[in-house]
Amino acid sequence: MITVAVVDDHPVVVAGIRTWCSLADPPITVVDSGPTVSVAWLEPGASADVVVLDLQLDMGGPAYGDLKRLVDAGRQVVIYTMRDDKETALTCLEIGAFTCLTKAEGEAHLVAAVTAAARNEPYTPPALSGALGTDTRPNRPRLAPREVDVLLEWFHCESKEMVAKELNLSVRTVNSYLARVRVKYANVGRHAPTKAALVARAIQDGLISVDEL
Amino acid sequence: MRSAERQLLRTGLRYALGIRTVVPAVSSLAVLVLETPRSPALTVAVVLALNAWNLWFAYRFPRGSGRWLVPVDVLAHCAVCLSQAWTVDPEVNARGTNWVLVVASITVVSYPWQLSARALAAATVAIMAAYVGGAALAAPDPWQVLTPIQLWMGVEALLSRALYLLVRRGAKAADELVAHGERLRRDAAVAAARRADEREYLAALHDTASATLFMVGVGVVGGREQWLSRQAERDLKVITGYAEVPDGEADLVALLHEVIHHVPLRVRCAAPETLRMPAVEAVALCHGVREALTNVVRHAGVAEAEIRVERRGDLVVVEVADRGLGFDPARVTGHRYGVTRSLMERMARTGGRAEVVSSPGAGTVVRMECSLAAPAPPEGDAEVIAGRYMQGLRWAVLGMNLVILYALDLPKLLANLDSYDPWWAQPSVMAALTGVTAVAGVATARRRPLGWARWPLLAVVFAASVLGTASVRADHRLGVAHWSEGDAAWWVVLLLLDSGLPVFVLVVAAQYATTFAHVAWLGGSALTLANVVHATMIVLSFQITVGVIAAVLRPIARSAARMAAEEERLRTAEVVAGQLHQDRKERYAALGETTTPLLRGLASGELDPGDETVRRRCAVEAARMRRLFAEDATVPDPLLHELRACIELAERTGITVLFAERGERPPVPKHVRLALTEPVVAALATAASSARVTVVGARDALTVSVVADAPPESVTAVDQAGVITSVVTDGRQVRVKATWRGGT
Repeated sequence: MITVAVVDDHPVVVAGIRTWCSLADPPITVVDSGPTVSVAWLEPGASADVVVLDLQLDMGGPAYGDLKRLVDAGRQVVIYTMRDDKETALTCLEIGAFTCLTKAEGEAHLVAAVTAAARNEPYTPPALSGALGTDTRPNRPRLAPREVDVLLEWFHCESKEMVAKELNLSVRTVNSYLARVRVKYANVGRHAPTKAALVARAIQDGLISVDEL
Repeated sequence: MRSAERQLLRTGLRYALGIRTVVPAVSSLAVLVLETPRSPALTVAVVLALNAWNLWFAYRFPRGSGRWLVPVDVLAHCAVCLSQAWTVDPEVNARGTNWVLVVASITVVSYPWQLSARALAAATVAIMAAYVGGAALAAPDPWQVLTPIQLWMGVEALLSRALYLLVRRGAKAADELVAHGERLRRDAAVAAARRADEREYLAALHDTASATLFMVGVGVVGGREQWLSRQAERDLKVITGYAEVPDGEADLVALLHEVIHHVPLRVRCAAPETLRMPAVEAVALCHGVREALTNVVRHAGVAEAEIRVERRGDLVVVEVADRGLGFDPARVTGHRYGVTRSLMERMARTGGRAEVVSSPGAGTVVRMECSLAAPAPPEGDAEVIAGRYMQGLRWAVLGMNLVILYALDLPKLLANLDSYDPWWAQPSVMAALTGVTAVAGVATARRRPLGWARWPLLAVVFAASVLGTASVRADHRLGVAHWSEGDAAWWVVLLLLDSGLPVFVLVVAAQYATTFAHVAWLGGSALTLANVVHATMIVLSFQITVGVIAAVLRPIARSAARMAAEEERLRTAEVVAGQLHQDRKERYAALGETTTPLLRGLASGELDPGDETVRRRCAVEAARMRRLFAEDATVPDPLLHELRACIELAERTGITVLFAERGERPPVPKHVRLALTEPVVAALATAASSARVTVVGARDALTVSVVADAPPESVTAVDQAGVITSVVTDGRQVRVKATWRGGT
């Protein structure tokens, strides 16, 4: 049984997440929810497998500080935000968020992202994929051209089958490209226990070799 | 030749002809009263013949009656000069200036405004020779003594020519300045007209073809309907009409009745029988009324409206009022083509304005105004022209004064040193006048008016003149040695050029009066009264002429500016018409490929609006138009602006659209934007329920992608403008990707 704590100040969003989680297979339990990050630090939220965090909790800027503290405590955080821009997504990954979802992607990707987070398997939704594919920062990891192709096509189509058809690959290969990119990102920048765990798991599973990193 | 120069030459000629008619008339008629010439009968005949000829000349010359007029004029004056022996009082002749000299000098001085440089030289030499010859015949003894004064006529011709050239140069400079301003204004006007015309055209499309196609596209029309055919026919007419550039006039009221006829409302119309006005403005008002009535149909919830048309002077006012629901104008915003854009902007474009007065529950009044007055000439042009004229005239007078002082008066002074007491007073007078000239010269060079400083300078001139008169010995007063008499007034001219004609004439006359009164008080004179009249006439007329020129330069400048503005209006209208014609031809050609055949098919009933293919074609075409309306080079990101417009249209028809963009994009030229957005337009217009539109700028490429549950046949991969398009289908989803690599 996967447990999740939801930090979001909008009751409708919380209700939506509860519904999606209850319909998931296997079902996911929302152990606590609330408008402040305290639900993730206090029981029962404190022992939830995954924290779903809305970045915009008050009139201030994005809650990068809260994210950082959660990540440093070893929590798996799924960012769920209205902000649909490259910089936000890249910053969250850099801090150590497990993945980033825009609210428009929630219905299609939130449950899968939470499940993957609980299993510590990489998960890259299309909006994040677009951000990674167009990353031009100097400290970005080195990606193979084919990996960028997959990232961008996934952003465009939101359908692995269509990406596979477009690029003449199998869906499996598409998935493995996305996973490798995610691991490469976990391997750069700031150190965080969650990022290290993701890399270790990937090497263990043979998804990527130490040389490639 | 442009307006300032042309206007100067025309007016200058008129004044020159006036002077050469009036001054000889006064001087020659004075002869009949004051002198006793050798042959009175011949004198009367010559004087009358000369004046008759001068009148005829002044009448014929501006009407350009042949090449013989000037040679005959020169010959006539030569004949008058040669007649001196019989027509001049010997007493007057012996002492100095006679009437023939006045006639000859003034004629020669007026020639620069009538003759070319070469003709002027020839005419001057001929008349001078005739004059000297005539003088020698009249009095063989003293004629050599007076010859230098007689030859001064040549210098006068030169000075007059210099004045003419300098003022004309000022006019040319003014013309160049005005023309530069005109070029700037014309470019701006053409650009504005093109933008206005484009928006006007788009607004018309929005009201007609776009609305019709959208309606068919969303499936409102189940099958062939007569009203739809008629609507399509009217739309076609509008589109075709826009291939022509409207000009000339139209009857606003007739046009309005046409509009009212097509609206499902009871419209009461309070208007005059007819109201002729420029077609462009009339059409703009009609479009505004149609838009307002359409809004009544859509939003007011009543079945009647009222139109009032009024002409108040140059203002045409049209009001459309209803007693319907009304709305809060403050809450109607955004970039939709609603009341704001298609009404207010449309009116502003044709120089009018529109306002909407409404509040919830209190009905709506849309009021449109259109001004028919010709725009006023640009302020400042008249000032520029007048300033340049004046500057030319000032330099001319400055030069003239120095020439008179040093080439005419200095020789007189040196030749008559024993006529002065004390002798040093005369050089002092000359120095004072030179000083005044220098001060005026500096002010002119700095383009500063003399202002109050002119009055102390004027006092210096008067003092110098009094000193000059007082220091001439009694028997030489008013004679050749008394050079400052008359010539001192030239400095009054210099100082009072820009002070208005009454002040000018008054002070010049005061200067002469002072000298004459002074001489009368002191007693003694070298001349007869006739001599004084002629000598004064010859100088004073030239001085007054300069004053008159200065006074008329401002009105000339004003009319030149008015003419320049009128010419500018015509030239601009011509350029605008040409440019608009070109633009409209191009736009019509662009529509001809897609929209026109569709509308034609709907109008003739050949295409069935209930048919799925036809419906889709119409939907795509309506979406293309929506993109066209969103074209706006001034927004920061035109590509996204156009895509958002298409997405908004799709969402209005109930399609869920997800839009996302990532990466940096180079600026995209218009034709590339068209090719990149074409698949999105087609897919969104034919999607069943949802679509995903994405834009990515990465790795030197710009990609626009759309995934939608649209029928695959509705989107086609067409590579154009360097854009490569690919189509992939997967189940019910079709995916089109358009990529452009030309941005780097």
